[in-house]
Parts: sequence; C-alpha cells; structure tokens
Amino acid sequence: MLLEIDDISVYYGKIAALKGVTVAVDEGEIVALIGANGAGKTTTLKTISGLRSVAKGAVRLAGRDITNVPGHERVALGLCQAPEGRGIFPGLTVLENLHMGSYIRKGDVSADVERVFSLFPRLKERQKQAGGTLSGGEQQMLAIGRALMAQPKVLLLDEPSMGLAPKIIQQIFEIIQEINEQGVTVLLVEQNAAQALALAHRAYVLETGRVVRSATGRELLNDPSVRAAYLGGDISH
Amino acid sequence: MSNFVDLFWSSTIDGLTIGSIYALVALGYTLVYGVLRLINFAHSEIFMIGTFASVGTISLFGLSGPASGLTLVLVLFCTAAAGMAASGASAVVLERVAYRRLRTRGSSRLAALISAIGASLFLQEVFALRWSNGELHASGRDYVNSERVLEKTELFSIGDGIVRNDKLLVFVAAILMMIVLDRFVNRTRLGRGIRATAQDSESAVLMGVNINRVVVLTFLIGGAMAGLAGALYVVYFDQTRYIIGFVLGIKAFTAAVLGGIGNLRGALLGGLTIGLVENYGASIWGAEWKDVITFSILVLVLLFRPNGILGEALGRSKA
Ligand SMILES: Nc1ncnc2c1ncn2[C@@H]1O[C@H](COP(=O)(O)OP(=O)(O)OP(=O)(O)O)[C@@H](O)[C@H]1O
Ligand SMILES: [Mg+2]
Repeated sequence: MLLEIDDISVYYGKIAALKGVTVAVDEGEIVALIGANGAGKTTTLKTISGLRSVAKGAVRLAGRDITNVPGHERVALGLCQAPEGRGIFPGLTVLENLHMGSYIRKGDVSADVERVFSLFPRLKERQKQAGGTLSGGEQQMLAIGRALMAQPKVLLLDEPSMGLAPKIIQQIFEIIQEINEQGVTVLLVEQNAAQALALAHRAYVLETGRVVRSATGRELLNDPSVRAAYLGGDISH
Repeated sequence: MSNFVDLFWSSTIDGLTIGSIYALVALGYTLVYGVLRLINFAHSEIFMIGTFASVGTISLFGLSGPASGLTLVLVLFCTAAAGMAASGASAVVLERVAYRRLRTRGSSRLAALISAIGASLFLQEVFALRWSNGELHASGRDYVNSERVLEKTELFSIGDGIVRNDKLLVFVAAILMMIVLDRFVNRTRLGRGIRATAQDSESAVLMGVNINRVVVLTFLIGGAMAGLAGALYVVYFDQTRYIIGFVLGIKAFTAAVLGGIGNLRGALLGGLTIGLVENYGASIWGAEWKDVITFSILVLVLLFRPNGILGEALGRSKA
C-alpha cells in the first residue's frame, strides 16, 4: 500500500472527530471517501497532511511511518493536498499560486506550469490575475493545478466539486481521471457521492468518525443502503 | 497660518526625513502583523537596540572629528550593518523568548500583548544599566551622545527650505532599503512564502512552507529595518537614550496603522505622512504639539478608518 491510515483517532479538545479510522490507498488507485457532513472526512485529510495530530494510530507513506513528520515536510515525501474551500492565496496571482505548489522544489518548473495550463487552459488566460478574483470553478482548477506542481505521489482532494455547477463538476472529474491515468494516486473526499463512486476504484464510507463500509466504487454505487443514505434515495441510474 | 506658509519647505524636508525613519520602523510592525496577526509592541526596543549598536560602532572608530571620503563611507556602512545585525538578531531572540511558546500553545492575543510589554520594559531597563565602581546601577537615564560622523552641510535649497546632507542621506537610504525589501517580498521565492503565509497559513503548510522559519525571517527582516532606522537616527541626531524607542515606536505604529497594517507600501506612505503632518502642525502650533498631533491621528484613524489608507493585509493588495 502506498498510503496507509492505520486506526487513527483525532480529537478536537475532548470531542473525538475520528475514532479509529483505517484507510489504505494503493499505488495508481483513485480511492473515494464519502460521508455526511461532520463525518470526519476533512479531518482525515488534514491528519494525512500533518495539520492535525493523532491521539492514536499511525499514518504511513510507502511503508514509512510519517505520523510525527511535520506537515510542511510531508510535501517533499510525496503528499500534496487541494484543501476544502480551495485554500487559494487570494493576493497572489494565478502563476504565483502555482509557484507556491512547487515551493519546495529546486530548479526549473516551467514544464510543470505548462502541464497544468494544458489541463486547465482557463488558468493560462488568467495567469496574471489575482487568485482571489477567480470564479469558484477556476479556483478549484487552480487548487488542483497548484497541488500537481508539487509532483505528488498521492494527490489529496477535499470536495473538489463543492459549490460548482454540474457542467464544471463533470469537467473537474474528467480531469481527475486524466491526472490519475498519468500515474498520480488520488484520495478523493466527496459529498457528491454518485460521481465520486463512479470514478473511484475503491471507496470508504465514513460515519461520525468511523469507517462503516468499504468496497469497490461500483459495489457501493449499487448498494441500496448507501444509495438511500448518500445518493438521495432510490433514483434509478 | 503665515508660519505654515513661511516654513512650508523646511517643514516638508524635516517631515520627509523623520518620516522615512518612522516608515522603516513601521515596516517591522506591519510585517509581523501581516504574518502573525500580532502587534509586536517590543519592536520599539528593537529600534532602540539599533541606535545603541550604532553609537557603539561609531565610537569604535575613535574619530577625532567628522569623517570624510572613504573613511566616512566605511564608518556609515559599518554603523548601518551593526545596527541592522544587532536589531535583527534581537528581534529573532525576542520571537523565541517572548512569543513562540505562546503561539504554539495557541494562547490568546492578550497574553502575547502582555508578554510584549514585559519584554519592552525589560529591554529598556537593561539599556539603562551602567557599570560603575564594580557594580551595576540602573542609572543610565540620560542621553548618550555619539561622536558626529557626518559634517552637516547645506547642499541646496527648495524654496526657503534647506536640504542638508544628513537629511538627504536618511531619506535616500530609507527609500532605497524599502525598494529592496519590496522587491524581495514581491519577486523572490522566500518573499512569496511570506505573503502566502500571511494570506493563508494552513494552505502554506500544505505547500511545504515551514511556518516557523517564515516567522523567524519576518522578525529578522523587520528587526533589520528598525536597526537601519536606528543607525540613521544616530547619524541624524547624534544621540540616543534607553527610552528612545517609546514615542518613536508609537509614531511608527501609527504610521503602520495609517497606511493599513499588514501593508508594506502603506508603511512607507504612513511614515512619510506622519512625518509631514507633525512638522506642518508644528509650524502652525509649535514644536511641542508634534506628539499630540500624531497621537490624535492614531485615535482618529482607529475610530474612523481602522483599515488605514491603503487597507488590506500583506500581499493581499495586488502589488
Ligand atoms: N477546528 C475544529 N474544532 C472543533 N471541532 C472541529 C473542528 N474541525 C472539525 N471539527 C469537528 O469534527 C467533526 C468532523 O469534521 P470534518 O470537518 O472532518 O467533517 P467533514 O466530514 O469534512 O464534513 P463536511 O462534509 O461538512 O466537510 C465535526 O463534528 C466537526 O464539528
Ligand atoms: Mg469537510
């Protein structure tokens, strides 16, 4: 397994947000993490990136225990995240935002910038514009592009479809697939369960800090209880 | 009002001179606030340390009178370097001792403020200590005079105002340093890291930015700017005192708030504005009103335009 989250518990004060969550992501996979509001999806991703510390359990990357590695050092080890709410630097230009993605890298990154621009041509047109003035969809593209600039082994995406029009969501999901086909492993957190499950090789269902189901994306997509809880009832597919 | 007209040009020259010192000190308040949302009230003592380092450095040269030619350049360079190094290093130590633990434990802003005031008083008293008869006494309350480095000569006049070489030096050095800093913050990788941290520190960590290192860098740069201000102050006034930072610090803070705290170019604008306004005011009501004028500005800005003239935090302005 490339990324292993092994039985982690995370607390905010005395309240447990994660109560022994175990998730594994194999190289080349797209793994989805779905669940209702407050289930602990964002907390899981933040913990993987080292922004939250664990009370129990371990995080391993390519077999190495990184539980106590500070967050900023995890980027060099191959983890990069496009966070919930996008986390764009509003006063930096689009290009500067992309350069923040390659902050820890030495040498020429212009080829990577070109690669991001070919995935998201819209960003190229707006490269001199301040990040904060982009539309929501453009900001999401920027957040994903910026994370790719770090050349991560595992790309962590927290609700990339949040607040976007269906057409843009479609586009973003196609690009996630494309990125994965280029060899990047993806751990995807989504409220938009139908599309995430259709895209993911495997998926985990999180409920109030616990993993309650895990199976292939297709299996979960056809599971009546999952459909009832996360896919808006029994809408025929 | 006739005084205002008569003294307009000389007030302008004096205002720009002292204003550029305010601006350099204001940068430290603004940089640290931009990154940490913390007002480093001990910054005035960082400036004070710079003035003492400068006085000490000048005395090392044992000048018998104002220097000239290459000696002058050498003395000025060493004084500036010593002021910047002493203040920069002190600011870094200050962050370590007074702020870091509070920050990593997530203490309230009030705790940091109290810590700042404590550090401030401590540093003042340390610089009031004198060694005499084999004992330490807290007796150094008077001005410490510095040897004059620069023979003050009149260069040219604008209207009725006379431009003196030391005033021009202070102004030009401050402006040049601010251009360098502006370029550093806006054009380099580390500068980008500082701006990114100021705008969204959690995202910055996700990009691999070591926040502690950015914080240290911010204190170092802000401290060095205050140190240069200290050196220029000594070259201009030929003296310092343990409490020299107090009023000047509040004025520089006012400048930072006026320009929009967190905004680098705002610090320059605010510093020069305060310098000019207090000198224009002094030409009308008399020099003893200078401090009143500045502090009135502080109160008015806080009441009516707390975001300052240029507003917006560090780097959030598209500069
Ligand atoms: N900074 C915080 N302080 C205190 N509690 C928090 C904090 N962040 C999250 N929580 C709590 O932890 C739990 C999990 O939150 P988390 O953000 O991980 O959920 P989520 O699955 O991402 O939800 P959503 O779909 O709404 O984004 C929630 O009960 C939330 O209230
Ligand atoms: Mg979330």
